[in-house]
Amino acid sequence: MPPGGSACCCCCGATLYRNLPDSLNRSLALTVAAAVLFLVANAFPVLGINLQGNGNAVTLLQAVQELWRQDMPLVSTLTFVTAILVPGLELVMMLYLLLPLYRGHVPPGTSLIMRLLHAIKPWGMVEVFMLGILVSLVKLVQDFRIIPGVALWSFGGLTLLLAALASSFNQRDVWAHLDLKQRRSGV
Amino acid sequence: MEWPGRSAAAQGFCSCHVCGLVSRPQPGETAARCPRCWTKLYFRRPDSLRRCWALLLASYILYIPANLMVMMETGTLISYRKDTILSGVIHLWHNGNPGIATIVFIASILVPLFKLVVLTLLLLSVRRGSTWGIKHRIKLYRIVELVGRWSMLDIFVVTLLAALVQIQSFATVRAGAGAIAFGAVVVLTMFAAMEFDPRLMWDPLRKERTYE
Amino acid sequence: MSETVTNPGSAQTADIPEAIVDRRRHRSSQLIWLIPVVALIIGLSLGIKAYLEKGPTITISFKSGEGIEEGKTKIKYKDVQIGLVRDVSISSDRSSVVVTAEIERDAAEFMKADTRFWVVRARITGSSITGLGTLTGGTYIGMDVGSSQEDKTAFTGLETPPVVTMDVPGRQFVLHADDLGSLNVGSPIFYRHLQVGEVVSNELDQDGETILLRIFVRAPYDKYVRQNTRFWHASGIDFSLDANGVKINTESLLSVMMGGIAFQTPEDFEEYQQAEQNRHFTLFENREVAIKSPDSTVENYRLLFSESVRGLTVGAPVDLRGITVGEVTKIKAEIDPASKKVIMAVQIRFYPERVKPRSGATSDQRATVDSRKLLDAMVKQGFRAQLKSGNLLTGQLYVALDFFPGVPTARIDWHGNPPVLPTVSGNMAQLQASLTQIVQKLERLPLEELAGDARKTVQTLDTTLKSADKLLKNIDSSVVPETRLMMEDVRKTLDGANKALAEVKQTMSADAPLQVDLRDTLRELGRAAQSLRVLGDYLERNPEALLRGKKEDQR
Repeated sequence: MPPGGSACCCCCGATLYRNLPDSLNRSLALTVAAAVLFLVANAFPVLGINLQGNGNAVTLLQAVQELWRQDMPLVSTLTFVTAILVPGLELVMMLYLLLPLYRGHVPPGTSLIMRLLHAIKPWGMVEVFMLGILVSLVKLVQDFRIIPGVALWSFGGLTLLLAALASSFNQRDVWAHLDLKQRRSGV
Repeated sequence: MEWPGRSAAAQGFCSCHVCGLVSRPQPGETAARCPRCWTKLYFRRPDSLRRCWALLLASYILYIPANLMVMMETGTLISYRKDTILSGVIHLWHNGNPGIATIVFIASILVPLFKLVVLTLLLLSVRRGSTWGIKHRIKLYRIVELVGRWSMLDIFVVTLLAALVQIQSFATVRAGAGAIAFGAVVVLTMFAAMEFDPRLMWDPLRKERTYE
Repeated sequence: MSETVTNPGSAQTADIPEAIVDRRRHRSSQLIWLIPVVALIIGLSLGIKAYLEKGPTITISFKSGEGIEEGKTKIKYKDVQIGLVRDVSISSDRSSVVVTAEIERDAAEFMKADTRFWVVRARITGSSITGLGTLTGGTYIGMDVGSSQEDKTAFTGLETPPVVTMDVPGRQFVLHADDLGSLNVGSPIFYRHLQVGEVVSNELDQDGETILLRIFVRAPYDKYVRQNTRFWHASGIDFSLDANGVKINTESLLSVMMGGIAFQTPEDFEEYQQAEQNRHFTLFENREVAIKSPDSTVENYRLLFSESVRGLTVGAPVDLRGITVGEVTKIKAEIDPASKKVIMAVQIRFYPERVKPRSGATSDQRATVDSRKLLDAMVKQGFRAQLKSGNLLTGQLYVALDFFPGVPTARIDWHGNPPVLPTVSGNMAQLQASLTQIVQKLERLPLEELAGDARKTVQTLDTTLKSADKLLKNIDSSVVPETRLMMEDVRKTLDGANKALAEVKQTMSADAPLQVDLRDTLRELGRAAQSLRVLGDYLERNPEALLRGKKEDQR
C-alpha cells in the first residue's frame, strides 16, 4: 500500500486502513504538544468579561466548580468529564503508549490502555467545547466587554492538534507492536 | 444485491471490534476473547436492539422536559428572562444574531431530533428485516455517530455563561433544570447510537441467521 | 466493525503481517517536533510570566466575613484594585474570619506593618453616607497604607473604616472632657464655623473621671491650634435670654444633630506657638466658659466670714478691682468649738494667671513659693477678701479682693488645706459704720453760728451794690459829652477820605477813556500773536516755504 493511501470496504465504503507515514513520530510530537496546550488551557482563564469595572474571568475548572455550586451537579459532572477528564486521560494514555514505542519497546498493559482509549474516545469533546466558547463569546460581546483569556487560544490549538493526532495515530501500528511482543515472549 | 464470497461470520471468523484482529472463536463458545487485546468477542453486539430501544425510549421521554423546561435564566438590571432552548434561539434570532441562532438551532434542536428519528428508523428497519437503501442507511448511521457529540454545544455554552456572568445585580446567568434533561438526552442518544450494531442491517441481505 | 471478505483457511494467529518498525528519521519527522517544542516554549513562558507577576499573599482577620467572597471581593487602594480575595475561612480558635488575599506585585510595597484594612460597605454614619458604590459593585476591602518601614503579611482588619487615613495631613490632639454629651466618633470640629476636622476616637480615662477624646484637625487649619487654644462643646443650640435680648448660637445643623467641638485661640498679649501633635487640652462646656477661662493654674483658698453670707452663691465671682479672678466653689457654715461662734467658710478658686506680674515674663513655670511670698507681702499691705453687694435690689453678694488700709494685721494660714486668706467684714457693716460717722459729723456742725454769719455777709453785699450803682451814674453824666465831640471829628476825617476814594474809582471805572485805549491795544497785540503762531505752525510743517513760498492747497 502506498504511503498515505487507504483501503476501503467494498460493501459500505468505510475506511479500512490508512497507511500513515511516520505515524509514531508524528503522533508522539502531536501528543506532547497537545499535552502542553492542555495544561495551559486549564491553568489560565478562558474568557473574561467586564462591565463598568466589575469583571469576572474563569478557567474551565472554575466554570465547572461554579456550576456545581449552583446546584447543578449532573451538568457540572458532564462538562467536567467531556471537556477535562476524557481529553486529559486520552493524552496521558497516549503518552504512556507512545513514549516507550518511540524508544522501541512495548509498555506493559498496552492492550488494557488501548481498550480504555477505544472506550472513552467518543466522549472527548474538546472541539465541541471550542465551538461552545465561540458561541458564548458572540452571545456575551453584545452586553459586556470581552477579554479573551490565554486558554482561549490554547483550546483552539488543542482542538487542531487533537484533530491532527486523530488522523495521524495509527492503531494498527500499536497492535502490530503488541503482536510482535506477544509473539516474542511466546504468548 | 449479492456480494461476492461468503461472509467471514459464516466461515466462523470474528473480527475484534477493538483491535480489528480476525480470529476464530471455538464454535459453541460464548465467552471468547480476542487473543490480542482480550476484549470479549462477539459476532454481533449482544442485545443490541433491545438496549437500543430502551435507551431511545428513555431519550424520547426526557426530550420533552428538555425542551419545555427552562434551560437558562438570565437576569439583568432591568429584565429577568427564563429561556428554554427554543425560546433562546428565537431570542438570538431577533436580537440580530442570525448566525449564532442557526448554529444553536442546528446543534440543540435539529441534531437531537435527527438522532432520535434516524435511530428509530434504523431500528424499525432492522426489525422489519427490510433491505432497501442499505447504503443510505449506513451513511445515516455514520452521520448519527459523527454528529451526536455536537449537541453538547448548548450545555457547554450554558456552563460558560453561568460561570462567567456572575456580576451581582448587574447581570447573572443560572442554568435551569432543562439543562440536566437536555444533557441526559445527549448522553442517552450517544449510548443508543453506540449500542446499535449496524452489521445487523446487512443480515437480512444475506438471508442468514440473524444474531440477535 | 465492518465485514471483511477473506480467504478461508486463515488460522487464529497466522498470517499476521509484521508491523513495520519505522526507525528512519527524515526531515519531515524532525519538523513535526517543532510543534511540541513551540508549545512547550509557549507554555513555559506563560507559566514563568504568571509566576513572576505574582505578588505577595497576605492574610487579614476580621470579626465577620459578611460580604466577602472568594475570588470576587477586591482589595482597593484609592479606588484602584490592587488585590483579590482568594480564600475566606474561620480561624482555628473560631474567633475570627481569616481572609487570604493575593496582592499584585506592584502593590507589594504597600504592605507595611501599620497598613490598615477594613471592609467597605454602604454605611450611614451621623455625618455622612459612604460606600454607596458597593450596593451595585459588591463590597470591597479598603486599604490605608502605613508609613512604617517593616513589612508584614498577617494583618488584623478594622471593623469600621478609620475616620482619618494616614495620608491626610494634619495633627491629632487629645481633649479631656467631663462627659461625652452628644459627641461621637466622626463628630465635626469647627473653627470659625468652618469644619476643619473630626473626632477620631473616644475612651474613658483610666481613673474613670474624664473622657479622653482624640481629635484630628486637618492641615492647613492645624496651625491655628496654639498652645493656649480653647476647645468647647459646640453641640446643640446655645440659647440665652438676658437684658440684651435673645441670643441663639449654633455652629451648624450638623453639630446640632451630631454634636461638635469648636475651638478658638483667645486674643492675648502674646502669641503662643502652634500646639504640637498629641497635646492635651481641656474641653469646656460652652463658649463663654472656654473663652473666659484662660487659666491652667488654679489655687483654692478658704475665706472665713462672721457675717451673713445670704446672697452669696456658688459660682459668684471673686473680683479684684473689677476683674474676675476666680469664683466661689463652696459655702459652708462651721461652728468653732472653742469660741462657740458660727463661722461662714467660703471656698474660692483663684486663678493667679489673671493677675499678671508687670515684668511681662510668661508665667508658665512660676514657682508656688514665689506666689506665696508675693501674697504674703500683699496681705501685709492690707490685701483682704470682703463680701460686697453686687446688686442692691436682689441682694446678691460677691467676694471682692482689695487692699484695705487700716485693717488689723493678719497672715495667710498656709497650713490649712486649702490655705485661709484673711478677710475683712463686708459691705453692709461698713456702710452702716460710715453712715453713722457721717451723721455724727453732721451733728457736730455749728449750724446756728453759720447762719448768723451768713446773714451779715448778705447785708454787706447789699451796701456794696448800692455804691456801685452811684458810680455808674457819675460816669454817664460827665464823661460822656467830651467823648461825643471827639467822635464828630473823627467822622469828618472819615468823610474826606471817602471822597478821595470816589475819584480814584471813577478813573478806574470801566468806560474811562484811558481804559478803553488800553483795551484796544491789548486786542491788537493778541491778534498779532495769533498770526505769528499760525506762521510758525506752517513753517514747521513745510520749512521749504521760506524759500519757495506758500504752496497752493492741493486737494
